Amino acid sequence: MRLLRFVARRLLQVVPVLLGVVVLTFVLVRVLPGDPIRTILGPNATEADAAAARARFGLDKPMWQQFLDYLKGLVTGDFGTSIQSGAPVGSELALRVGPTLELVVLAVGLALVVAVVLGVWSARRADRFGDHSVRILALVGNSMPEFWLGLVLILVGYSALGWFPAPSGRVDPDTDLTPLTGADLVDAILTANGPAFTSALSHLALPVATLAIVVVAPLLRSVRASALEVLRSEAYLAATTHGLRPRTLLRGYLLRPALVRLPALAALVFGTAIGSTVLIEYVYSWQGFGQWALRGLLYRDYPVVQASVLLIALGYVLVFLIADVVHAVLDPRVRI
Amino acid sequence: MANGRTRAVSRRAGGGFSRALIVTGAAILAVVALAALAAPLISGWGPEEIDANATLAGPGGAHPLGTDTNGMDIWSRLLYAARLDLGVAVAAVALAVVAGTALGLLAGYLGGWVDDVLMRIVDIFQAFPTFILALAVAALLGNGTVNLVITIAAVNAPAYARLVRAEVRSIRELPFVDASITSGASTLGVLWRHVLPNSLTPVRVIAPLNCGWAMLTLAGLSFLGLGVTVPGAEWGAMISLGSPDVVAGRWWTSVPPGLALLVCVLGFSLLGEGLQERADRRRTS
Repeated sequence: MRLLRFVARRLLQVVPVLLGVVVLTFVLVRVLPGDPIRTILGPNATEADAAAARARFGLDKPMWQQFLDYLKGLVTGDFGTSIQSGAPVGSELALRVGPTLELVVLAVGLALVVAVVLGVWSARRADRFGDHSVRILALVGNSMPEFWLGLVLILVGYSALGWFPAPSGRVDPDTDLTPLTGADLVDAILTANGPAFTSALSHLALPVATLAIVVVAPLLRSVRASALEVLRSEAYLAATTHGLRPRTLLRGYLLRPALVRLPALAALVFGTAIGSTVLIEYVYSWQGFGQWALRGLLYRDYPVVQASVLLIALGYVLVFLIADVVHAVLDPRVRI
Repeated sequence: MANGRTRAVSRRAGGGFSRALIVTGAAILAVVALAALAAPLISGWGPEEIDANATLAGPGGAHPLGTDTNGMDIWSRLLYAARLDLGVAVAAVALAVVAGTALGLLAGYLGGWVDDVLMRIVDIFQAFPTFILALAVAALLGNGTVNLVITIAAVNAPAYARLVRAEVRSIRELPFVDASITSGASTLGVLWRHVLPNSLTPVRVIAPLNCGWAMLTLAGLSFLGLGVTVPGAEWGAMISLGSPDVVAGRWWTSVPPGLALLVCVLGFSLLGEGLQERADRRRTS
């Protein structure tokens, strides 16, 4: 019950932030240079054509009128119409979010597991050879241009070895996958489509590996740092001198306190992951949210930019909320 | 006893590791900077010079690392690109440090509504992933070199402002600041002489790491076509130009510039990590 009240209170705090984001994006995208209408009209279009197009998208109305229309739409779940494609933004968004979430969730999940295992291992060998190698590897991961890593993995995994499919598409069309959520792996499981599952998995392997390598480095560093802090604490020293079994020591006295900070970190890393996803989707021609938002930004497609900025802000806020809840569950000292 | 001794030994060993990190990082950066400066002497071709007889030529002969689709020499472009990448990254971080520090000093020292307004602006900036923010700002500002420096500085400055503000707030309460105010020093004098130098400690550690990140951002923007565009010699733009060849198995157009970028950023990371560890050790011991 207390948890529920906490979540409700936090969600209420989120409302003004999101309102600020809505207003700011709406104004900035219109005030700054660039004209979305010119990009959809051909080079021979006249002033009259442009005015007609502008009227079609309601861009001829005064700005306050446009904003009220936009807000009215938002309340009813209508994100407007894409200027580029002429399709409703909401349904385009629904198609794009699944593939990206699939990529990000798998990669961050994989990175979390690797970071915990390697980070704790490294901390227990602090300042020895194994520890130094792990730290250097983490630094290399931290310095990695993700879009280049993606190309190198394509070069090795597809061009040279031929183990993975070409970087286009997310599932083999011959497998007749029925799209439900947009996340192909989930769809394959829901429709019990075995071939589609393996195909989706092999298409996912390289992009997920790319993103995971980039994301694992900062996580690994902080898991190591907090594990080291625990190992050098008096509480841990007392536990070891009491002669507890190694397994009890590891699970109860090292892992739990060392991992308390992990949810907050995973939330922070989620931001990095969104940035990297834009680049990685571009490399693998992954038709996800990042590509869609990037194109919207390049062509000044106002409704698309507004919707994608709002979604990123919302996602960020929700991830931090989830992180706080998980933190409270892990750490009994936290009162929510 | 035994425990105390091993601890002392391991601390010394760790000190050696942080020194090794700093030295390696600095050496890498020195080599890259030298190569950038000596580009006209060791390149053989101009950065935008086209050899029409050799497009997409493999490594060897007149072109040690081959040529790209336009017939430009990869090795030469690699060297000239180091100038642009290093220059933009360092300039952007310097600008971010100056702007962020000034704002942080003001907010932290004055407090009150100035602090509130500045920190709310910082909050809005930090509500978005930094690369996304850089994308948006670059798309709006356009892609001249100066605009790129401003873009990267703008998305980094808020973090410095927050960092310096926190330091200033704790330094402001220290007795020696009160002492210099009561002995008649002006506000500006106190800020410049006493508060500023002491609040820069964390900035010195973070700035090198940030240079590496700035370089990755610049290359990422160029890769998406929002930064430096071909024929400009920049590592990210070179990787982008060569990316269609990679699928066909021609590695030399994209792999060398990415490797150069990775090594250079790694130089900054090693330096930053070493400095960080040294600072941590000082604080704990």
